[in-house]
Amino acid sequence: MVTDAEVLERIRQGGLIESVDEMSEAYREALRVTLIVSGDTELLSAPAYYHAAQQAPSVNAYISLMAIIQDELGHAHIAYRILEDIGVDVEQLIYERPPSQWKYPYAFDVPLESWAEMVVANAFYDRAGYKLLGDVYHHTSYGPWKRALAKVDKEEIFHVRHGEMWMRRLARDPDGRAELQRAVDWMFPLTVEWFGLPDDLKRHPAQLTFRIKGLSNDQLRQSWLREVVPFCESIGIRVPAHYDPAQDKYVLDYPLPCEFDPEEKRWHFDRPCTWDDVLRRWKQRGPYNEVFVEQVRRGYRQLRTWQAAAQERFEWA
Amino acid sequence: MGVTVEEVWQALQTVEDPELPVSIVDLGLVRGVRVDGDDVTVEVTFTAMGCPCIGWIQEDIRTCLARLPGVGRVEVRVVWDPPWTPADVRPPAWETLARYGVVVRARTRPRGGL
Repeated sequence: MVTDAEVLERIRQGGLIESVDEMSEAYREALRVTLIVSGDTELLSAPAYYHAAQQAPSVNAYISLMAIIQDELGHAHIAYRILEDIGVDVEQLIYERPPSQWKYPYAFDVPLESWAEMVVANAFYDRAGYKLLGDVYHHTSYGPWKRALAKVDKEEIFHVRHGEMWMRRLARDPDGRAELQRAVDWMFPLTVEWFGLPDDLKRHPAQLTFRIKGLSNDQLRQSWLREVVPFCESIGIRVPAHYDPAQDKYVLDYPLPCEFDPEEKRWHFDRPCTWDDVLRRWKQRGPYNEVFVEQVRRGYRQLRTWQAAAQERFEWA
Repeated sequence: MGVTVEEVWQALQTVEDPELPVSIVDLGLVRGVRVDGDDVTVEVTFTAMGCPCIGWIQEDIRTCLARLPGVGRVEVRVVWDPPWTPADVRPPAWETLARYGVVVRARTRPRGGL
């Protein structure tokens, strides 16, 4: 097997890694972990969005959302397919792994229960996905993933445009704006948190060392804030963050991290906590973790049951 | 002084397909423009009857034309005949779409039934 030093030298020269034969064990591990997060996130977004699709205000709106869900399933397929290529048992990953061990963002465990929440998810969550995958697309050292992401990049922008178009539309009317504001109040901090531990606490430098991705958590979070905060302000929606010209940065108006009540969908800005507390909450998973994972698996389980029954009949005959 | 047909086409050039950032004019979705005084009629088609953006694109057309000086009533008419084919995509969009991994350049236009 190739050594870490050889891999790093190749990356330093701007070369791409193209197959398992060209990876060190540590490189493969960093790639595996990153791909699982990507695949799980895309796949779980499908039942999470489908749950909200029942609230679509028209057939056209429903069809647009179905197209988005279809894109997400396609994106999940890319990540899992690459995992298969590097020797991971994807069938086990999707159908046998306990739901609590899935690696998608906690945000998808909190159900989207109105059309306003659904379109804020498109504007906030899909923009987070666009930032994270756009970074991989532009910077990753793994060739097959980089090439597969060209189309994903454009599709995620479609989802963001869908979210922002609807947010603009809802914000024109006082009732719509109030509902939008309620959704933003819990979804904004949840997406800020999505980008993970701040750089001084981050424990996976391998992802950056091996250039699986190029930008740090704080850089990606800042890049997200730079687009989302001005957009919300432009449509009269308040967010707990503002631009600080002295630092040329967007800063939060609340302590990160702090406590969140997923049942009430309410943040307690007056109760700061530690990142260990957040990691504990993420590990425990949120209210819809098992429901959504099971939804993804239902057809597979049914098929297995029917196959077993058919096998039994065959043996009897 | 009303708007001209030419100005309407130019304005529509800025309306993009929500799924891929390509002008709906270059995609060949705009089938015709008529101006009668201040009234504007746009005939538009879609790449498929199950296109996920049928309502969305019509809304974008209305918003775009409402900003144009000299435009009064805007009617967006959906037409399905002749059906859209990849051959309707105009040359400026070929390369853009190819960059996104979408190949549309058909050599011949399919004719007739199934």
